Amino acid sequence: MDLYLPIAEVSVNAPLVIALAAAVGFVSAALGVGGGLLMVPVLMFLGVPPAVAVATEASHVAATSTAGVIAFTRRRAVDFRMGGVLAAGGAVGAVIGVELFRRLRLAGQADLVVSLAYFLFLSVVGGLMLAESLTAILRRRRGEPAAPRRDLRPLWLFGLPLRLRFPQSRLYISVIPPLALGAIAGVLSATMGIGGGFLLVPALAYWLRMPAGLVVGASLLPIIVTTALATVLHAGRNQTVDLALALLLLAGGVLGAQLGAQAAARVRSEELRALLAVVVLVVGLKMGLDLFVRPEEPFVLLAGAG
Amino acid sequence: MADQPYTQPAPAVSAALAETNIRVASGPGGARVVVYGAVFDPRARPSDVVVLVRGPGRSVRLARKSRILGLWLNGPPKVVEGAPGFYRIASTRPLAEIADGGSRRDLGLGVDAMRFGASPQTGPTQFGAPGAGVSGRAADDPRWREAVVRLYARRGLYGEDPAGVRFVDPGLFRAEIGLPAAAAGTYRAEVLLIQDGRPVARRARSLQLEPAGPALGLQVAAHRRPWLYGVAAAALALAAGWLASLAFRRT
Repeated sequence: MDLYLPIAEVSVNAPLVIALAAAVGFVSAALGVGGGLLMVPVLMFLGVPPAVAVATEASHVAATSTAGVIAFTRRRAVDFRMGGVLAAGGAVGAVIGVELFRRLRLAGQADLVVSLAYFLFLSVVGGLMLAESLTAILRRRRGEPAAPRRDLRPLWLFGLPLRLRFPQSRLYISVIPPLALGAIAGVLSATMGIGGGFLLVPALAYWLRMPAGLVVGASLLPIIVTTALATVLHAGRNQTVDLALALLLLAGGVLGAQLGAQAAARVRSEELRALLAVVVLVVGLKMGLDLFVRPEEPFVLLAGAG
Repeated sequence: MADQPYTQPAPAVSAALAETNIRVASGPGGARVVVYGAVFDPRARPSDVVVLVRGPGRSVRLARKSRILGLWLNGPPKVVEGAPGFYRIASTRPLAEIADGGSRRDLGLGVDAMRFGASPQTGPTQFGAPGAGVSGRAADDPRWREAVVRLYARRGLYGEDPAGVRFVDPGLFRAEIGLPAAAAGTYRAEVLLIQDGRPVARRARSLQLEPAGPALGLQVAAHRRPWLYGVAAAALALAAGWLASLAFRRT
């Protein structure tokens, strides 16, 4: 059952896209991290142009993050002040990111940058996840307790100006690190179509030392702001958001996230994280292959045809 | 309809494409061009009929990959002008058997022999990235034109159907050519009668294709009202997330 995507200008198998979006949503909800990085590469393998995949996936991430933040708010697990500062940085980052993407696209290099960025991120994140999950599995097998959360705060963090109180997180820190963090996540959202959770969550937990239970909730606010803003900006500046594709992704993603959230309590997460890490590495490898191996067709069509 | 009979030196052949009807039918897969025609030839010589549908000419922007620091990167983009947005040719026999290479190139028959027009059509139906940069025009380099032909053929926009024209009755032929779901604009349908490898009669007609259906409405909206479209997309995503959270609450 093929569906023609008007902005992507390709036909895709609609049930397949929904199923894949559901799988990614399931993984994201069940394991908390890593799924979102797979959606854009999967769409690219299906023939969707990278620019459209990035812009449309941003809207998908906005949707799933909204559902998440509402759930977390009900449990009073969202520090809106911290999330707001992060989101402010994220907004700036998203604007910069979309403009950067636009310039790359006009220069004909956007597709390559997306492929390269995903290759790097997938390799690094996959490798880290694999190391972390294997360590956790070994530790569990040996009966050792979980490792205490390390304090990775550098000394200069304490000397920065513009301090603000964050009562819910019991922090009194400069707003500069969260703003910068949010901005980086914003640029990533706009140029890769991801939420940036894989960066925000560890940074908030280890670098800023937010209480563990508040980390995910606070990270969702900037993700929503950056991805929603990226959606609007990509549509306005580049015309790369494909609503037909977005509807497929939303349908599958919502279904998958529902199932994943239910499964989260029941599964052994370390093994699944290791499996996911392997999948992430394999997908990253495939992206890299296309970059380093001589292409069979040396010419490539670019956007901007008359 | 333009009817341009080619005159031939004696002995004259009297043949024509009588009652050539070119219709555009819409269906779930997109539009189709259906051609019915009759060949009138009192001498009943073996004839071939070729039906060609061409889309509006466009400027195609492409790049050639080259290896830099171990990575295959896109080189500077170039523009090839006048490439047909669509080119499908149906015939009663493979084109190579109907006419020789020289004749085919003169007539522009065949994916490998198509002519690139001079000026691309510009208008509301042509979308692109405004201000797209190019480093040069590649019209003179045949490798770039060949690349466009290869890439478009791969996308299904160019193609040959060597058995696409059938004689359903002696003298009565039928051809059907599918049009891509997306492209809008002024298409050109040509019907040629070929005997002994030379064109004997020709009919041509312009077809105007309008965007239709929800998919194309989206495409038009995305390009004509980009910001409204973007805000709507973001709002839709947020609303979907909110609705999903309501559904989750039950479990």
